[in-house]
Amino acid sequence: MTASPSESGAAQVAEKYAALVGADSSSAEFGTAKIKVPAARWVEVHRTLQAHLPFFSWLSAIDWAAEVAVGDPPEEGVIERYEVLSRLSDVTTGAGLIVSTDISKDTPRIASLTGVFGGADWHEREAAEMFGIAFEGHPHLTKLYLPDGFVGYPLRKTFPLLSREVKPWPGTVDVEDMPSSENAEAGDEPEAEA
Amino acid sequence: MTDRHLLAMHHAEVSVSVELETPDVTLNLGPQHPSTHGVLRLIAKVDGEVITEVDPVIGYMHRGYEKLAEVRTYPQITALVNRIDWVSGFANEIPFMVAIERLMGLEVPERARYIRLVLTEMARISSHLVFLSSYPLELGAATPLMHALRERERVLDLIEGVTGGRFHPNFNRIGGVKPAAGAGSTQKKVIQDLPEGFLAQTRDAMTNVLSVCDDMEDLVVGNEIFVERTKGVGLIPADRALEFGVSGPNLRASGVGFDIRKTDDYLPYSRFEFDVPVGANGDCFDRYMVRFEEIRQAARIVIQAVDTMPSGELQAKVPRVIKVPKGEVYVRAENPKGEMGYHVVSEGGRGPYRLKIRSASFSNISILPWLLEGQLVPDVIAILGSLDFVLGDVDR
Repeated sequence: MTASPSESGAAQVAEKYAALVGADSSSAEFGTAKIKVPAARWVEVHRTLQAHLPFFSWLSAIDWAAEVAVGDPPEEGVIERYEVLSRLSDVTTGAGLIVSTDISKDTPRIASLTGVFGGADWHEREAAEMFGIAFEGHPHLTKLYLPDGFVGYPLRKTFPLLSREVKPWPGTVDVEDMPSSENAEAGDEPEAEA
Repeated sequence: MTDRHLLAMHHAEVSVSVELETPDVTLNLGPQHPSTHGVLRLIAKVDGEVITEVDPVIGYMHRGYEKLAEVRTYPQITALVNRIDWVSGFANEIPFMVAIERLMGLEVPERARYIRLVLTEMARISSHLVFLSSYPLELGAATPLMHALRERERVLDLIEGVTGGRFHPNFNRIGGVKPAAGAGSTQKKVIQDLPEGFLAQTRDAMTNVLSVCDDMEDLVVGNEIFVERTKGVGLIPADRALEFGVSGPNLRASGVGFDIRKTDDYLPYSRFEFDVPVGANGDCFDRYMVRFEEIRQAARIVIQAVDTMPSGELQAKVPRVIKVPKGEVYVRAENPKGEMGYHVVSEGGRGPYRLKIRSASFSNISILPWLLEGQLVPDVIAILGSLDFVLGDVDR
């Protein structure tokens, strides 16, 4: 396995912190430790974890949607929701943990982490303008990247990529299957140039 | 006395009284300013010489890579991630590739991992040389630039010799590195390996880098003005740095000896000896000196790696059409600017369902409003420069 992601190490990390904060569930697939907590406990969980995992790496979100305007839709049976994720890390052993919670699409709001981690400020502003999530208690939830007055939330799956709508991207030609290459494993052929 | 003289005296008095009242003035810096390393705008409120509030305005370089990635295939995204931190394009590719390889369960050949490691460290040297020479320039010392850029060009020539690109190598492939020479279908069968003499030339280049570092250290650290302008300026305490996600050399300058190359196994760093330099105070001077020492350590790693470079394949066997199994993974790497990571969420297709790009400079400058408050206006350039950010890495 590439770069041996110590799956057992990640599992230990996930279980340890899941037990510490009383998480709903934990996973450690592909060496990525992750715990799931209820949205109502978002800030409290982070405050507990800060003593153990003081490095605030990032915060972002995922739009889980059955119908998408761009890319491929997820497999069937997806629950419509926004998943909010934050990644924290320890700086002595390097142990890292993703904390995840689900919020409903009807009321996309969650408490702000700015009172716990100062670095959450910009990450929340980005997630707010890209996904339309309201971070309650954020001191100035204004646009970060996008111009003032921009309409829409670009990273929502319902938001089309306008340039692609107007003109198909020439690169799509690379994406099509090679002729007669159904299930073809490129045995001694190098990978097709992308 | 003429009326004109009286008027001038009157104006002088007025201006004196205005200065004593020191009302808040809004000072705009950028977006087009040489010290901002791109297009960063700072809206500062100043009370006399002291800054009371700073609002950084970013987004001038925002290209929306996270959205674009959702309509690209995995191999195509390599070309995008090159352009995030363009001062070290090669290093940006690594965590993305490792993330995909983990999801696919691919075993990357040893030789490919070593080549990745050597080129990553050379990208670090090139990136740090730019910082170490342009930062004194911002403070008025022009000479170090001439020394550093000469050696940087040699390093870039070597990177270009292997990858074909100085800044945007686009050299990594899922499962290894680019094994075939490009330029049309007839040449596809010609397997391209490292160019002849690369290992010996790299060793020479590293010796030169080490000697230019000694020259520059004399020039810069022996310069009283430089030391005065950076020592004790722009202090970042360790707990603040952690809370804001400040990473890489900026974090280590604050005394936290955290280096992802030591903790994570994304490239075979554990086989080489190197030290993690740490600063004591977290001021601009420490941030400068930590990078100095990092260049030396990087050269040390490169020399060890070219001496022990294994032979063998350059790429694992991969399907012609890359499909990544369902799952999510976060892989981070110690890039020249700090922690760079990709959170890849795959739903089993040819492109990611969601790609979150964690770039180092974004978090590194998110501390600016806190850091610049209460600082003197003349120190702003010294503090900005010492964080070594690239706006492409901030805006993504």
